[in-house]
Amino acid sequence: MTERSDPAPDFVARFANWDNFLAALTIAVIAYALVFVPNFASVFNISQAIAGVSERALIVLPMVLLIIAREIDLSVASILALTSVVFGLMIQAGAPLAVAIPLTLVAGAACGAFNGILVTALGLPSLVVTLGTMALFRGIGYILLGSGSVNSFPDSFLDFGINMVGPTPIPWTIVPFLVLAPLFAIVQQKMPLGRRIYAIGGNPDAARYSGIRLARTVFGLFVTSGVVCAIAGMVYAARLANARANNALGIELDVITIALLGGISVFGGKGSLTGVLWALLLVATIRNVLGLMQIGGDAQGTVIGLLLILSLLASNAAERLFGRVRFRLASRKVGE
Amino acid sequence: MLERTAPIADAGTASDGTVVAALAGATKVFGGTVAIADVSIALRAGEVLALLGENGAGKSTCVKLLAGVYRPDAGHVLVGGDPVSFHSPLQAQRAGIAVMHQHPGLFPDLSIGENLFIGQTGAGASWLIDRGHIRTEARRLLGLVGLDADIDAPLSRLRTSEQQLVEIARALSLDARVLIMDEPTAALSQREVERLFSVVNDLRGHGVAMMFVGHRMDEIYRVADRIAVLRDGRLVGTESAADLSREHAVRLMVGRSLDGLYPHHGTVAGDVVLRADGLSRAGVFHDVSFELRAGEILGFGGLVGSGRTEIARVLFGIDQPDAGTISLDGAPVHLASARDAMDRGIAYVSEDRIGQSLVMDFSILTNASLTVLDETTRVGLVSRAKELALATPFLDRLRLRFRSYDQPVSTLSGGNQQKVVLSKWLATRPRVLILDEPTQGIDVQAKADVHAMIADLAAQGLAIILISSELPELLGMCDRMIVLREGEISATFERDSATQEKVISAATDAHKAERDTARPYLAGEQPSIASEVTGPSWRRFFARREFGLVAAIAAVVIPISILNPRMLSGANLSALAMDAGLLMTVAVGQMLVLITRNIDLSVAAVIGLAAYGAASTLHVHPEIGIVGGVLLACGIGLAAGLVNGFVVTWGRVPAIVVTLGTMTIFRGLNSLWAGGKQVSADQVPQAWLDMTSANLIGIPAVLLIALATLGVIAFALRSTVIGRELYAIGSNPAGAALIGIPARARILLAFAIGGLLAGFDGALWASRYATVDARVAYGFELTVIAAVVVGGVAVRGGSGTVLGVALGALTLLVINNGLTLVRVDPLWLQGVYGLVILAAIGIDAYVARRGAAGRKGARA
Repeated sequence: MTERSDPAPDFVARFANWDNFLAALTIAVIAYALVFVPNFASVFNISQAIAGVSERALIVLPMVLLIIAREIDLSVASILALTSVVFGLMIQAGAPLAVAIPLTLVAGAACGAFNGILVTALGLPSLVVTLGTMALFRGIGYILLGSGSVNSFPDSFLDFGINMVGPTPIPWTIVPFLVLAPLFAIVQQKMPLGRRIYAIGGNPDAARYSGIRLARTVFGLFVTSGVVCAIAGMVYAARLANARANNALGIELDVITIALLGGISVFGGKGSLTGVLWALLLVATIRNVLGLMQIGGDAQGTVIGLLLILSLLASNAAERLFGRVRFRLASRKVGE
Repeated sequence: MLERTAPIADAGTASDGTVVAALAGATKVFGGTVAIADVSIALRAGEVLALLGENGAGKSTCVKLLAGVYRPDAGHVLVGGDPVSFHSPLQAQRAGIAVMHQHPGLFPDLSIGENLFIGQTGAGASWLIDRGHIRTEARRLLGLVGLDADIDAPLSRLRTSEQQLVEIARALSLDARVLIMDEPTAALSQREVERLFSVVNDLRGHGVAMMFVGHRMDEIYRVADRIAVLRDGRLVGTESAADLSREHAVRLMVGRSLDGLYPHHGTVAGDVVLRADGLSRAGVFHDVSFELRAGEILGFGGLVGSGRTEIARVLFGIDQPDAGTISLDGAPVHLASARDAMDRGIAYVSEDRIGQSLVMDFSILTNASLTVLDETTRVGLVSRAKELALATPFLDRLRLRFRSYDQPVSTLSGGNQQKVVLSKWLATRPRVLILDEPTQGIDVQAKADVHAMIADLAAQGLAIILISSELPELLGMCDRMIVLREGEISATFERDSATQEKVISAATDAHKAERDTARPYLAGEQPSIASEVTGPSWRRFFARREFGLVAAIAAVVIPISILNPRMLSGANLSALAMDAGLLMTVAVGQMLVLITRNIDLSVAAVIGLAAYGAASTLHVHPEIGIVGGVLLACGIGLAAGLVNGFVVTWGRVPAIVVTLGTMTIFRGLNSLWAGGKQVSADQVPQAWLDMTSANLIGIPAVLLIALATLGVIAFALRSTVIGRELYAIGSNPAGAALIGIPARARILLAFAIGGLLAGFDGALWASRYATVDARVAYGFELTVIAAVVVGGVAVRGGSGTVLGVALGALTLLVINNGLTLVRVDPLWLQGVYGLVILAAIGIDAYVARRGAAGRKGARA
C-alpha cells in the first residue's frame, strides 16, 4: 500500500495553534497595558493582579481534569466558602494552624466525596448534582456562621496573605498554585492517570472496555476538586483576612470560563493545561487593566464573556473549514 | 397526511406486477469498501420480494438506498420507472416509500400515538394536533399489528419487541405504495410474527410492493413471492420462491469455495483453560456450556443477535450472568469488571472498533498502550521508550502501515485501526483471547495479516475464541465450532465435520419443518406491560410527579400554618402569589429550552437587564407609558434570546457555554447602563408600580398573567405540532433530523420565547420591587433551574410538563415562605434549596431505574 502524506492539519496540531493564539493575544494585551495603561507596570499593581487570581488559578486545575473527563463541578465556589468558614471557626475556637489546616482539607475532601458518590454510585448527571450541592454547601456555610465573619487569624497566616516572596512581586498566595500546577501538568501529560482521564472523556466505552475503572477515577477527581477548593478557601481567607459564608460568590463561572477559553472542550477528551494557563494570565490581565481604567467587575465580565463566545465561534468556524479541506483530501484516497 | 379508507376494490395497480420501485445497477462505496456493486432489484405491485444474504452481503445498503438515507455512487433508484434522487428519508417517504427499520429511531419520551404520526405533516397540514384522529388511527394501526397498549403511554414503557411493533405500525400508517421491511421479525414473538404476515397478505391484495429482508428461512418462504440473493455486494440470483429450494438458496448465499487461504497451525490442544457451564442471561442467551483449551481456536458461529457478543461480554466481565459458572484452570471465578477479567488474563477485542476499542483522537501509540499503562511507567511517569517497547513488537508483526506512532488513529484505514486494537490487547499478554468479528470491514491484505497472527498465537498456546459471521473464516481458522441460534447452542462441530451449509442451517432454521411455538427466552411470552405501575389508574395518578409535589407542598404548609397562622393570611398569600407569578413565568421559558436538550443560564441576567432597561427608560421618558415599558422589556428579552439561540444553533456552540458567556455579558451591560446608579420608586410613574399590585377578584394580577402564559404554553406544547416537535428534538435529536423536523429553527424559537418571557418577567420585577439597579435578580438562575428540575423536567431533554414546572416553582416558594415564617434564618434557605434539588433528581433516578428493571423482565 502506498504511503500517503496527509497535508491537512490534524486535530492535535490545531489545538497547539489555539495555545499559540492565546499566547499571542495575552502577550499583546500585556504589551498594550505596559505602554498605554498608567500604573500597570508598578510592582504593587502586578502583585495585586496576581494575588487576585490566586483562588481561581488553584480551582481551575482540578476543573480542567473534570471537564476533560466529561464531568463538571459547579459547587467549587461553595466548597471554597464552606471550607473557609470551617477553617475560621476552628481558628476562632482556638485550634492551632497545624490542626486546622489538615482538618479543613478533610472537610473539602468530604464535600468532594459527596459530589463523587452522587455522580458515580447513583449515576446522576454532574451538572445537576453540583448545581444542588452548590446551594447545599453554601447553605451549610450559612448555617454554621450566619452572616457574620471570622476576622481574627494568627499573624503568620495573615502574613501569608499579604506578603511577597522575598523581593519579588510574587505574592505568597499564588505559591500553592505554583506548587500544584506542575504536579497537575505532570499527572495530566505524563502519568497513566492522565491518560485514563483523557480516555474516559474521549470515549467512555472504549475506556471501560480497556479495563479503566471509570467510577473510581471520576470519584477521585471530585475528591481532588474538593481538597483543592479547601486550599483555595484558606488562601482566600488569608488574602482578605476574613472568612464568610458568602465568600467567592460566582467564581465557579469564572473558572469554567477560563478552562473553556483555554481550549478545554466541553465535550470532553481534549485540551491541555498550557492553553488554560495562558487563558488564566489573559483573564487576570484583562480584569486588572479594566479595573485600572475604572471599569467595574460586572462590566469586566462582559469582556470576558464576549471573549469566550467569540473564541468558540472562531474555533468552530476554523474546524469546519479544516474539516472541509480534510474531507476533500480524504475522499480522493483510493480504496486500500 | 394520507387517509387510510376502507379497502379499495380497484386501485388500478392491484396485483398486476407493475414495477413500483427499483434499484437499477446501483453501486455504493464506503471509504475503500464496496458495499454493493451493480445491483438491480425490482419491487412489483402486490408482490413480496425477499432479500437474502449473509451479514455484510449488502442487504442493509440496498434498504438504505431505497429509504433515501444514502444515494448510489453509480446506477439509480427508480420510482414508478423514473430515476429519483432522495436527499433525505423524508423525501423517500413523500415519494411513497415506507420503511420498517431494524433499529427504529423512535422517540422514547413521546406517547405511542405521537410516535406513529410525528413528522408526517406535509405542506398544508394543520398546525394543530388532531387528537381525535390520532386516537382512532392509532387504535386501528395498533390493532393491525396486535399491540395492546395505552396510546397515551410514553414509548419508553414498552419492551423492545413492542417498540418494534410500533415501528411497524408507523410504517403502515404512511399508506405507502412501497413497503420495505428490514428484519422486522428479529425481536418479535411467534404470535406477533403471524400478525405481521396477515397484514402483509392484506397489503398484497392492495397492490403494495414489498421487500422483506430477513434471515429465517421459514418466514422467508412463507411470505415471499420472489427471492433475491446477495453475496459480497453482488446480486447472484433472483428466482420465484416456488422455484428456489432452500438448499439452493443457501448455496447461493455462501457460494465460495474454501481454498487454503487460511493458515494452519496444527497444534495439539492443551489443557482446558476456560470452561463455561450453563451460562444464562435473561432474554439474551440460555444454558451455554463449552470448554476452551490452550492452543485451540474455538469458533462462535451464528447470526447477528444470536447472543455471541453477549456471551463474550459476560466472559469479559462487562456483564454478569444470571446463572451458570465460568471456570479458569478448573476453579470457578467471578468476573466483576473488565479490569478483573484482564487481571486474570482474558482479553476481548470488541466488534465495535470505533465505539468500544479505540479513542479516535488518541495517537496510535496511546491507543496501543491504553491497556497496559501501568507497565509503561518509569518512576511513575509514562516512559515513551517503554511504551514503544510494549507496542511496537505487535504493530510490527501485524505489519501496520503508518507514518508515525503519534498519528491519530482516525487517519488510519479500518484494517490498520484493527491492527492497533489487536496490538493493544496482545500487549496485555492474555491467556484467553476473545476476538469478536476481528476482520469485519477490513481489506484483504490486512485480513491475511490478522489471520496469520491468530494462527501464530494459537501455536504459542493462547486459547482463542473467534466470533465471526464470515463462514470461510470460521471454517478455515477454527479447530472446533459452536453455532448459536437465538441464544442457544444449536450445533457443535469439529474441524473437519463442518461445512458452510451445515453452519448456516444451524444458524438459521433452514431445515426445521415446524415452528417452535414455545420460544421462551427471547420472545418474551409474558403479557406486555401496559403501564409502569400496575393496577387501577388511580394508582398511576398518585405515582405521578405532580401529585408528589402537591403532597410536598401540603407537607410544608400544614404544619407551618399550624405553627404560624400568618402563612394563610391574605397578605402572605398575596405576596406568595406574586412571587409565584414571577418565578413561573420565567421557569416555563427555561422549560422550553431544557426540553430541546439545551439550557439557558443567562435568564436572570436578562431579567435584570430588562428590568433596569425598562425602569430607567421610563424614568427618562415617562411618556412611553406602562405599555411602552413592558414592550421595551420584552424586546430586550427577545433580543437576548435570539442572540443565545443563534449562537447555539448556527454557531454550534454548546448552550451551557453560550449562556455562561451571555450571562456575564448581559450582567456587564446592565452594570454599564446603570453606571452605579439605581432607579427608585419615586422616579417612575405610579401606574408602573401599580401594575403588579393590581388585584383581580382578590388574586394578584401578576399571578393571573403568569397562569395565562402557562396555559398558552401548555396548550402549545400539548396540542400543536411545533410543541410536540420540541419534545421530539430533545428525545432523539438524530431521529428528529431524520424525519425532517427543522431542529435549528425550533431550538431558536425555544430560546427566543425563553428570552421574551425573561424580559417580560423583568418588567414585572421592576414594577414589583420598585428600586432597580444593576444587581436585580442576581443569582436567580439557580432558583429558576431548581424550580424546573424539581418540577420534573429532565436535564437531558425530551420530557416535562407545564403543570410540573408550576408546582415545582410553588414548592420552592412555599418552602422559602414557610421557613421564613417559622423564623428560620433566610440564609439557610440556600441549603434547603440544594437538598430539594438533590432529592428531586435522586427520586427521578430511582424511578427510572425501577422502570428499566421492570421492562427487562428480570426474574425476581
